[in-house]
Amino acid sequence: MKELFSLACRQLGRKKLRVFLIVLGIAIGVAAVIGVTSLGEGIRVQAVDQIKASHDLTTIEVSAGVEDGSVTLITDSKLKAIEREEHVLFVAPYVKDSYVAQNNTYLAVKGITSEYRRVQSNLQLEIGDWFDEGKKSNEIVLGYDVAKRLAVVEDLGLGDEFTVKIRLYGEESRLKDKPAVFKIAGILKSAGDEHDNQVFIDIKHAKELDEKDSYDGLFVKVDDPAFAASVRDKIEGLGLTAHSAQDVIDEVNKLMVAITLVLGFFSGISLVVGALMVVNTMIISVYERTKEIGLSKALGASDFDIMKMFLAECVIIGVIGGILGDLLGIGFSVLIDLVGKPFLVSALGGELGAGLQLGSITVVTPGILAAGFAISVVLSIVSGLYPARRAARLNPLDALRQI
Amino acid sequence: MTVETRDLTKYYWMGKEKVVALDSVNLKMEEGAFISVVGPSGSGKSTLLNVIGCLDAPTKGEVYLAGWKVDYRNKKSLVRLRRKFVGFVFQTFNLIPALNAVENVEYPMYFNKEGRSKSERRESAMKLLDMVGLEKRANHLPSELSGGELQRIAIARALANDPKLILADEPTGNLDSRTGKSILNLLTRLNNEEGKNIIMVTHDLESAKKMSKIIRILDGRILE
Repeated sequence: MKELFSLACRQLGRKKLRVFLIVLGIAIGVAAVIGVTSLGEGIRVQAVDQIKASHDLTTIEVSAGVEDGSVTLITDSKLKAIEREEHVLFVAPYVKDSYVAQNNTYLAVKGITSEYRRVQSNLQLEIGDWFDEGKKSNEIVLGYDVAKRLAVVEDLGLGDEFTVKIRLYGEESRLKDKPAVFKIAGILKSAGDEHDNQVFIDIKHAKELDEKDSYDGLFVKVDDPAFAASVRDKIEGLGLTAHSAQDVIDEVNKLMVAITLVLGFFSGISLVVGALMVVNTMIISVYERTKEIGLSKALGASDFDIMKMFLAECVIIGVIGGILGDLLGIGFSVLIDLVGKPFLVSALGGELGAGLQLGSITVVTPGILAAGFAISVVLSIVSGLYPARRAARLNPLDALRQI
Repeated sequence: MTVETRDLTKYYWMGKEKVVALDSVNLKMEEGAFISVVGPSGSGKSTLLNVIGCLDAPTKGEVYLAGWKVDYRNKKSLVRLRRKFVGFVFQTFNLIPALNAVENVEYPMYFNKEGRSKSERRESAMKLLDMVGLEKRANHLPSELSGGELQRIAIARALANDPKLILADEPTGNLDSRTGKSILNLLTRLNNEEGKNIIMVTHDLESAKKMSKIIRILDGRILE
């Protein structure tokens, strides 16, 4: 084997320029694939990093399960079951309802626990205090926008009490409006999301007012993002619906892998050119060495011996092409990063662009390099099969006669 | 090794014209014989050599090498016969330009290793080079050597697998007469000292007469 390849090296060594050109041809094809793939991979990593930065991967959002038209409610027993799961730090349930104030101001109310505030860390008080948990008090905390609206429409501020109507559906769907008195205990800073339009009360109080014995949703906090998926599966096993930021990441991964594959496939067309170069060069080489092939056969070489000799040369071309292609590919991905990043950042603008600015938009993984190398070697061997077979099948006598 | 041909006939078609290269050739060669085949161009000399050397198949007739009938339809057995029993020497030397002298001599051993290690093969190649008087040129490429030297290396190469039969197709055809004589002397030595059977195609009747039995061939027939 070693002798076979050293002989192949000697043969290739006699045609350095030709070998260099053919290797370059393959290497450029490999580099194009690596460059494009690294861009896809880089953007994928960036997107996933941005999701990870803005989402808490240890939080799972649970809502009532709906399957085949039947609804599985989040009852206390389900809540307890989730709390007992391994890796679950705590569970933050909430209930939702809407109340109407005197001047018909619509209030979206959420009954929460202190755990809910631990999950939604952006709920910060501007003035006042949170209500005491578990104590049946009529204290409420207003979201930033609700507080503004109540101040204007209802002329209410911190410490004021006011009456709301709670609409309940009694037996036989008869409507029943139930009055309740609330006291504004605190007002939140702007959170920049849906919480600005919500009113918060203690969950026990809310359940009592609504006459509900199930929860509208809950957040489950796990100790490590690695276990989020398994915990989520268990929750889904209870018949409930569960979401986590990992779902978004999975979607992004799926999409980017698909895009990268398509791009890689089309940039791989340049590899076809490289392969044709190998075929062409090897056919020329067979033609040039026809006499040598005939001679080798006269000296005792079998068809298979001849075939091995030519394929060994292809393997060497493929190996060199793979190494050079990997190196060029790394260079190519650096170039894409240097030239392409400013363009992408300005095109995307805003937060997305700023996120890109920090990292690199291309990522070359060992897997990509290994694939590039393998493509080069396999391509060279496959391209060499036909010429090698042609060489092996030459009639030794005809081959020897040729001048 | 004895060589025998029975009714050996070979013809081929050049367009619509039938060319008879060999016409019922019966040849018997004893162990350790040296035969020179002479005749004009196109008389079938080379075809006879190629058929005996298992490079070409006859249209009719049989060849027996050491008493064994050659099966021309069995490609693998032809390869084995070429490896073990036959050494070729050509008019145009046909050394591989990428390999130096000793590597060229070694080359046939690569296809017929017979359990010899690389160093063992190198050693026997050096011995063969020594025998043809070119051990000092071992590391030279063919492009750096003269015609006579190239043919000596080619003869050393023909001996690489220790064949019983040397087939030489006009080995002196491309050499000046003095160099040609030294090549003939080398072949005679191989015949006398090593007991090799030699069949040589040549135009040089005078030199050939001195050292071997002459067979004249014309239009594919042996003239007695």
